[in-house]
Amino acid sequence: MIADNLVVERGVSAGDAWITVDPANLRSALSALKDDGYRLLVFLTCVDHLLDASRNWPARYELVYELRNMETPEHLRVRAFIDGDPPRVESVHDLFPPANWEERETYDMFGVKFTGHPDLTRILMPDDWVGYPLRRDYPVGGEVVEFSEEHETWQTAPEKA
Amino acid sequence: MSTPEGVTISRTGETGAFGGELLSVNFGPHHPSTHGVLRLIVDLDGEQVRSVKPVIGYLHTGIEKQMEALRWQQGVVVTDRHDYLSPPINNLAYALAVEWLLGIDVPPRAKALRVIMSELTRLSSHLVWMGTSGLELGAMSMLMYCFRERDTILDMNEEISGFRMHTSYIRPGGVMADATPRFLEMLDAFVRAMPGHVDEYEDLLTMNPIWRSRTIGIGKLSADDAKVLGATGPMLRGSGVAWDLRKAIPYSGYENYDFDVATSDLCDCYGRYLVRIKEMREAVKILRQALDKLPDGPVNVDDRKILPPPREELETSMEAVIHHFKLFTEGYSVPAGDVYVAVESGRGENGCYVVSDGTHKPRRVKFRSASFVNLQALERMALNHMIADLIAIIGTADAVLGDVDR
Repeated sequence: MIADNLVVERGVSAGDAWITVDPANLRSALSALKDDGYRLLVFLTCVDHLLDASRNWPARYELVYELRNMETPEHLRVRAFIDGDPPRVESVHDLFPPANWEERETYDMFGVKFTGHPDLTRILMPDDWVGYPLRRDYPVGGEVVEFSEEHETWQTAPEKA
Repeated sequence: MSTPEGVTISRTGETGAFGGELLSVNFGPHHPSTHGVLRLIVDLDGEQVRSVKPVIGYLHTGIEKQMEALRWQQGVVVTDRHDYLSPPINNLAYALAVEWLLGIDVPPRAKALRVIMSELTRLSSHLVWMGTSGLELGAMSMLMYCFRERDTILDMNEEISGFRMHTSYIRPGGVMADATPRFLEMLDAFVRAMPGHVDEYEDLLTMNPIWRSRTIGIGKLSADDAKVLGATGPMLRGSGVAWDLRKAIPYSGYENYDFDVATSDLCDCYGRYLVRIKEMREAVKILRQALDKLPDGPVNVDDRKILPPPREELETSMEAVIHHFKLFTEGYSVPAGDVYVAVESGRGENGCYVVSDGTHKPRRVKFRSASFVNLQALERMALNHMIADLIAIIGTADAVLGDVDR
């Protein structure tokens, strides 16, 4: 069982059980859950809560790890809230091999740095891309459109993103 | 000696046919067998594969970003386009996620129609897989036979939704329109004919010596490896693990249908082929049951806040006009929260993680695509095989690159 001192908050959202852990304990919490039988990391992603008024969010970025126990089959969502520029968190690619590409994708889209990842490079966007497209302050249509007549006047991605 | 362009001598190993020299070769992105635009950096020792590094992103279209800019009911159209061989299944994952957040349940007839469309899609997706994989491995005529039946399925898509490929048929709150009598006739004829067609495919491939020698023992993936690497769908079942979301976590009324989970203990390309053949037979079985027990009644929830009123009501009711106006200017808002719904597509677990902040647009939509995760197992399967076998391995992994790159 995951130790209660690791869990900051727990609840159920639309039928899915979730827990929130402190980002510093994220790796030990996931490792404990893996020993409990949650052996499959279904997906890993990030949510940007910039200017989100639906509740008082503890930090801007929310990391979401969806775990599954394939025997029972139970789901558990693990959340961790992180801030910082760039936001940093420990990699879990060695605990859950599918996390390797998922962490690269989260880095590519949100700029979250996973410390300890062997090859944290862009995966979907070109290697020389500037900015992190899925951040909420990255505008849709903000990229340079090559071969366009308006090419010169298009704005590139904002420097802050 | 000069090296040809695109080929570099990377590093020196210990042994090997060419004195241990490894060649790094670019395989793709425009290679006909890569099912789209997949680029692999392959280290070759003679003709043997020593490492495979997939480079993806060539089909990245920013679907998740687009979803954030669209209203809840508009997002359906975008979900069609990531795994372009199974649009209704993608629609279903998104629609179920939005319905969970809204706390609504669709009528039984809508559920049955959703199952029918999902199974037709699974069939058409497996047919494309079998046709193209056959073509790559020397069974040229497979493509003609498979696309013949796939065309019948596309005709049915057109009949029920007006669109052959990107149907957008399954929507939050129900389905686009009720099945027409002609659609049900077409489906009945198809369900009668399909088992015979699957026999035809088996006649062409199952005992075909070329097909067998190209696939048996190629691309081994043990059950433990498949589980650890997170593989789902025919990749996992081809390694002998009876895991199917339709049985394990039933959705849309799949618990009411009688079908078997296809598995194979061979753990190789041939095993994955047998699984897909068996799944096609099971899909026909589900279609027959769904057609026979198709319940009567409405196909949409009766909630004017989510779906527009019927056209004839607009002429007599002021309230209907207001609802119509609100839906098409502002849309509806979904209570704040998040949900993950996974459905079984032809390739494995296609999931949709939706976060709502209580407004009329999603805060975040993440597609968990089966191809993206399954492709990570490619290196494990391809190691120490001949480069020609890499074609068979990519083929039976059945990655759709639109789904990988989203």
